[in-house]
Amino acid sequence: MEDSQNSAPDALEATKLNNSGQRTETQSVTKRLQAELMQLMLSPSPGISAFPDGDGNLLSWTATITGPTETPYENLNLKLSFSFPNTYPYSAPTVLFKTPIYHPNVDFSGRICLDILKDKWSAVYNVQTVLLSLQSLLGEPNNASPLNAQAAELWDNDQEEFKRQVLARHLDLDDE
Amino acid sequence: MLSTVPLNAGRRRVFGSVFSPASLEARPPLASSFDHDQAALASFQSTASFATLKVDSQTGSFVSAHETTDPLSDHETWDQAWSAATAFLSIPDHGFAPIYEARDTDGSEVLRAWNRLTPPSKETADSLSYLAAAAQQTNTPQGGASSRDLFSWYSDEIRRHFLTNLRGGLYEVLHSSDKAGLLRTIVDCLQLAFRLYLAPIRHYLLPLIPASEQSRIFTQLQRGFHTVVSYSLPWLQISPLLAQEFAQDALVILGIDTLLEDPESDDEEQDEMEVDGEYSVSYCDWKQANAETRAHMMTEHENNEVAMARDRLLAFLNGLQLVGLGGDKAQKVFANVMNIMMTEFIRAAYTSQWEAPTSVPQHLRHWVENVFARLAVQVLNIIHTQPSNQPAGTLDVSFADVEKWQEIAVSRLGALRASELFDVIVEWPTSTGAVEDLKHFTTHPAARTYVTQSFIAILNQRLLHPGASTVEILQLYISIIRAFHLLDPKGVLLDRIARPIRRYLRDREDTVKVIVSGLLAEPPTDDTSDLPSSHDTLVELSTELSKAHQLSLQTNTSELDWDDMNWMPDPVDAAPDYRKSKSSDVIDSLISLFDSKETFVKELQTLLGDRLLQKREDYDQEISVLELLKVRFGDSALQACQVMLRDISDSRRVDHSIRHDQGLSKPPSRAHPKRPTSRLSPPDLHAKILSRFFWPEIQDQEFIIPEEISSLQERYSEGFEALKHSRKLTWRNGLGQVTVELELGDRSFSNEVTTWQATVIHAFNSTTENEQEPISKSILDLSADLNMANALVRSACLFWVSKRILVETSRDTFRVLEFLPTEAEVAEGSSNNDGGVGGIAADAGDAAAAAEAAAAAAAKETAEAAAMEKMNLYWQFILGMLTNQGAMNLQKIVMMLKIVVPGGFPFSNEELREFLAGMVSKGKLEIVSGGSYKLVH
Repeated sequence: MEDSQNSAPDALEATKLNNSGQRTETQSVTKRLQAELMQLMLSPSPGISAFPDGDGNLLSWTATITGPTETPYENLNLKLSFSFPNTYPYSAPTVLFKTPIYHPNVDFSGRICLDILKDKWSAVYNVQTVLLSLQSLLGEPNNASPLNAQAAELWDNDQEEFKRQVLARHLDLDDE
Repeated sequence: MLSTVPLNAGRRRVFGSVFSPASLEARPPLASSFDHDQAALASFQSTASFATLKVDSQTGSFVSAHETTDPLSDHETWDQAWSAATAFLSIPDHGFAPIYEARDTDGSEVLRAWNRLTPPSKETADSLSYLAAAAQQTNTPQGGASSRDLFSWYSDEIRRHFLTNLRGGLYEVLHSSDKAGLLRTIVDCLQLAFRLYLAPIRHYLLPLIPASEQSRIFTQLQRGFHTVVSYSLPWLQISPLLAQEFAQDALVILGIDTLLEDPESDDEEQDEMEVDGEYSVSYCDWKQANAETRAHMMTEHENNEVAMARDRLLAFLNGLQLVGLGGDKAQKVFANVMNIMMTEFIRAAYTSQWEAPTSVPQHLRHWVENVFARLAVQVLNIIHTQPSNQPAGTLDVSFADVEKWQEIAVSRLGALRASELFDVIVEWPTSTGAVEDLKHFTTHPAARTYVTQSFIAILNQRLLHPGASTVEILQLYISIIRAFHLLDPKGVLLDRIARPIRRYLRDREDTVKVIVSGLLAEPPTDDTSDLPSSHDTLVELSTELSKAHQLSLQTNTSELDWDDMNWMPDPVDAAPDYRKSKSSDVIDSLISLFDSKETFVKELQTLLGDRLLQKREDYDQEISVLELLKVRFGDSALQACQVMLRDISDSRRVDHSIRHDQGLSKPPSRAHPKRPTSRLSPPDLHAKILSRFFWPEIQDQEFIIPEEISSLQERYSEGFEALKHSRKLTWRNGLGQVTVELELGDRSFSNEVTTWQATVIHAFNSTTENEQEPISKSILDLSADLNMANALVRSACLFWVSKRILVETSRDTFRVLEFLPTEAEVAEGSSNNDGGVGGIAADAGDAAAAAEAAAAAAAKETAEAAAMEKMNLYWQFILGMLTNQGAMNLQKIVMMLKIVVPGGFPFSNEELREFLAGMVSKGKLEIVSGGSYKLVH
């Protein structure tokens, strides 16, 4: 807010040039995403990484989570796609697993059941926090509301079989 | 004569297509019926082809004559009279040459030679009076017709003569290569011809008819002459000549030529003359004169040259008008010339006359009224269109016209100023007058648009290019702000001008730096205020900062001031998003250049940090600047800077108490310890305690400091930790100053140097008092001992070499110079070491230069390290990119970096390729098919 006040002449110029409201919104989204990217680059967290897709459009990203140690996903590279709405960060991005994954809270098309991506979304979350949440979700699935009931059951009762299922389902997308 | 026959015949054919042949030839045949030979001899001796025509029309005439009701005797008398009269009046064909020869004389000789002044014989006079009298018998149609016929015949005779004799000659003159004065020659010839033609009529014929008829007849003849003149002299060729004539004299009369002359010589001349109320159109003279003199300056005491030029021009124009080249067309030419003259005058008189207060517009109006309009009135009086059918005294120029001219002149002045505007602003503030002039011009939107657009064009061409330094651009921008504030207090014009400049400045990397260093610069003291501000800092800004603050306290008018009786709406040509701002506030304009305060504050921090770390008595300048900036930015934005300043002032206090507690401070004598002799008294140690979080990143060089100092540091740290619990000191050895005193064999040295320079010289410290051999150390040893970068060690050694403390005995090995070599030794040394690498004879100047170079090299090394650091950030980007998007080729990586890195990617493809190759060799990347880079897991 403060920024836009100080840059008034420019902001006004910009408004004049792109007098459709949507465009202006897109710009603020872009700005925010650029800042997030910078933050990710300056302080990378181990095991997670994200980057915009190659089409020059900052509204879709690809992220990579390396499976945390001591979980069935250890050393697996899991790819996700982020798609940001024009209203980001006031509405949540759409996040999908691209890599086939066997997990109680992820269905077979990669859809994720995670509260902060749904009704608990808040503008203070960002790509990094979402990825960290997902990383921890890998180790601690929320079996109360499973999308994959079989996985939830296996997780609770047969870790060995669960791990076998995970490895069977996993397909490394890196070599496409 | 004979030679002209074919030419004449050809001409006549052309002429005949315009004027019917009958009218040209109808009269003479009547006369020839009585005296064929005489008439033929008189007028047509050279034209054989006339004979047939003559016969044809002769019969026709006779028929008409017989049909008349008049008695035959009457008719015969009339015929006789006609014959005599025409014989007398006909003009001899002497060709063009005599007229050309005599053009400069009064013409009487020619007139006489051409039989124009000879009084008619008695007989002829009778014939003339008979014909004239016959003409008066208006009741008889025949009489009236014949009288008119005499004049018409003469009119035709003039035409014939002119075409046969003069036209060819004039044509040649017109096409002669020498154009100067050509028109004057032509007009002179024509005037003479005119007199030739009309002299007999005027002298002998006109007195015979009533006065009422005289002028009508005369005008008729004159008009005939004018027609034939304008027919034979193509206007397209005359008009440039005429314009030239006008311009030549107008230049003198309007005073432009004196303005264009070297003003120096002009001044001298005037000094010599020292006459009151001297005639001058020069603006310089006008400025110096008092009001009374001014009023007369252009109206009285016209100097000779001008008077002569005026007379010459007016005489010429009289002639021009007389021969029929005046009138409408000449007026157009004149208008054209005067138009150019006005621009010329304005350019000559006012270019670079920018002093304030300006009286240029008054001077210009005065000039238009008294000089320009005067000439116009005089000229137009002569070359009017309707010859004197207006009552005497009415001028062709009305007062409204003069006013209009003044308006035109003022807008021309505006155009001149607009074109000069860039230079005016460069000269600011000595050129305020020019802007005031411009103010008279920018009264309507079109003019305002013109000014801004032309100025922006000049700016783009002359200022906003890589050749101009940022300081220059900012300096000019400040001047522009001031100048345009004067021009247009509402700031609309400035708003328009400033946009391209601001856009450009935003793209410059060092803009912030220049602004901030300008703000922090020492304001010029009184005794140096006359010096121009230095070229690399905008000292002006710091003065402006304090000044602007005082101003803002005084006047706080805003749009919400309902009682403001001088309120004005925004001008109509304001941009839609125009906002009334305190555009005159230079600082505000500069600070608002950037999107956020952050960039600005960050730069301020860096610079402030540098300055605060210097060893100085007080930091009043910084404190006051910060206070002033706080007014603008608010406290929160400058919090970090505030903390930095407090750190410095606090650390002085803390320093004092720590030193006291730890017994570090010495009793009163603050004399510096002399190391070799009084080894027991430890050196003084003062510290500045910085709160790391609030200070900008500081480039530090790591090295081992001498033991004496490090032990002091330890004690100091203890003292600090006792004073401030749970806080720790981290020493920054690379910063700070050391006062070094060196005792050498034959001299001592004392100076303030940097810590690393001091550390290096400390390593040369003699361990025992009486050691004979001076210590010699190599750079490698030093750098290993001190854990210091090679470049830095070398730089420090070279510094000491430049101070003649060390000498480089062989490459990279230095030795203390205990005794300065005598001159003889120097000479010997230099001759011995001519080709050698090392030598004692290192010239101090050379060494100083070398030290500087080495310091620069060291600085470059750190800068490269910083660049490497930056590259690390890009490596993170590349890492993220390749992790998530899979293998990519170089082009794609560069493209992506350009998109996602804020502020763009500064390295070229080649640099990136090299960097990536380095990563490949480190085993972090591999190159897969198609030259794509892929991460190695």
